[in-house]
Amino acid sequence: MMDTAFIWDIFLRLIVALRVTLSVWALSVFFGAFIAAGVTWMRGSGVKPVEWIARAYIFVFRGAPLLVQLFVVYYGLSSFPVVRASVFWPFLRDAFNCATLSCALCTAAYQSEIFRGALAGVPHGQVEAARACGMSGFLLFRRVIFPIALRQALPAYSTEVISMVKATALVSLVTLWDVMSVALKIRNDTLVTYTPLLVAGAIYFVVNYLIARIFIFIEQWLSPHLRARSA
Amino acid sequence: MPESESDSYALTVSGLHKRFGSLEVLKGVSLLAREGDVISILGSSGSGKSTLLRCINLLETPDEGVVTVAGETILMRKTRDGRSLPADRRQVDRIRSELGMVFQNFNLWSHMTILDNLVEAPIHVQKRPRAECFEEARALLDKVGIGDKANFYPTHLSGGQQQRAAIARALAMRPKVMLFDEPTSALDPELVGEVLRVMRSLADEGRTMLIVTHEMGFARDVSDRIIFLHQGLVEDEGPPAELFGNSKSERFRQFIATERL
Repeated sequence: MMDTAFIWDIFLRLIVALRVTLSVWALSVFFGAFIAAGVTWMRGSGVKPVEWIARAYIFVFRGAPLLVQLFVVYYGLSSFPVVRASVFWPFLRDAFNCATLSCALCTAAYQSEIFRGALAGVPHGQVEAARACGMSGFLLFRRVIFPIALRQALPAYSTEVISMVKATALVSLVTLWDVMSVALKIRNDTLVTYTPLLVAGAIYFVVNYLIARIFIFIEQWLSPHLRARSA
Repeated sequence: MPESESDSYALTVSGLHKRFGSLEVLKGVSLLAREGDVISILGSSGSGKSTLLRCINLLETPDEGVVTVAGETILMRKTRDGRSLPADRRQVDRIRSELGMVFQNFNLWSHMTILDNLVEAPIHVQKRPRAECFEEARALLDKVGIGDKANFYPTHLSGGQQQRAAIARALAMRPKVMLFDEPTSALDPELVGEVLRVMRSLADEGRTMLIVTHEMGFARDVSDRIIFLHQGLVEDEGPPAELFGNSKSERFRQFIATERL
């Protein structure tokens, strides 16, 4: 059964499905970053109740399996008549939206922890030097704190972004035709187990390899000070 | 203090108190610096000399006391629970940009080249024209002897070069007073000389400088006045010849005997 024509056929069908996988991934990472920025800001706000909300958010969305969150959003919410009658229903009735929302909420919790760690790692002396030069508030954040934190966040951030590509395989369980669910369907239809799963695995692998390369490129581009000087 | 009197000083500090919890580090310190004065602040560790310097540009908030820079007094207010806070953050930022601070650990911004470190505050805080800032920055790097390192990152420089870059960064803001917080304490012994040479040239050109240091010989040679702090109070002060000749303070005589000259 391992003939090339069959593999090629599987490959073409999975590549089409890759569009769904990458859409869920890109949108959830993108919006997750904004949610994470907000949560990180709340966590460092210094206002106790606000801090506790941020902590609770991270505790819940990092603590429960993504699959559970996905099912709660997609199957759970729709079981409430109130939700079905609300303005959110046109959004929540769609499986793609639910999947993206769940993934975004989950990755936001992890990204927020990465942001927090990176901010905490900004050397105090460099912040103090900026203050001593008359910088404060947003200027201090934009010119010194953020650029240093960004560079420190990148390695952990790339790991989170890559693990989100793999996490999107779960959306196959809420009726989306992503790479994983198409591979499972081919398996069911043809009773060939290995071939579709191996092709799917290879596609995930190549995508993640490319993402990792992009992050390495960004890291090197942003951190010439960590490279050996060739002058 | 009358306006006219503080006007003629580059920096005045009076009655400065600073407490960390139950530990009172400064117990009412005053000092006057005229334009062009080089004042060294000596004292054993824990005497409060670094805290004094850091209170002047409000990196530490003094609990009591008045700081006046070039005639402008830093406005403070009391919170309801009795803590002291700057009354006007923008005034603090402005006054800080008039005080050049040099740290023990250089604290250059690691993600910027040396040149970018120098133009950062002039461009973004003082809003001066970019071209002028870059031109002046290059001249300052030449002056401190690292003109060829403009496009290097701080990690690619030796400690002595980093500290000279940090001095140039402070000078780039055209400060009215330079504050040095143990500028050679983190350096290897063979790198101390190059930093002291730069500081000496600044003293020679008439800059107003406040120097916290353990370099006794340097303090004696370049200072107009020496202030000796002991347990949060000025124990003795005066011209170096006077103090090193015959200080009335038994503690100071002990202090210079234990430190290498």
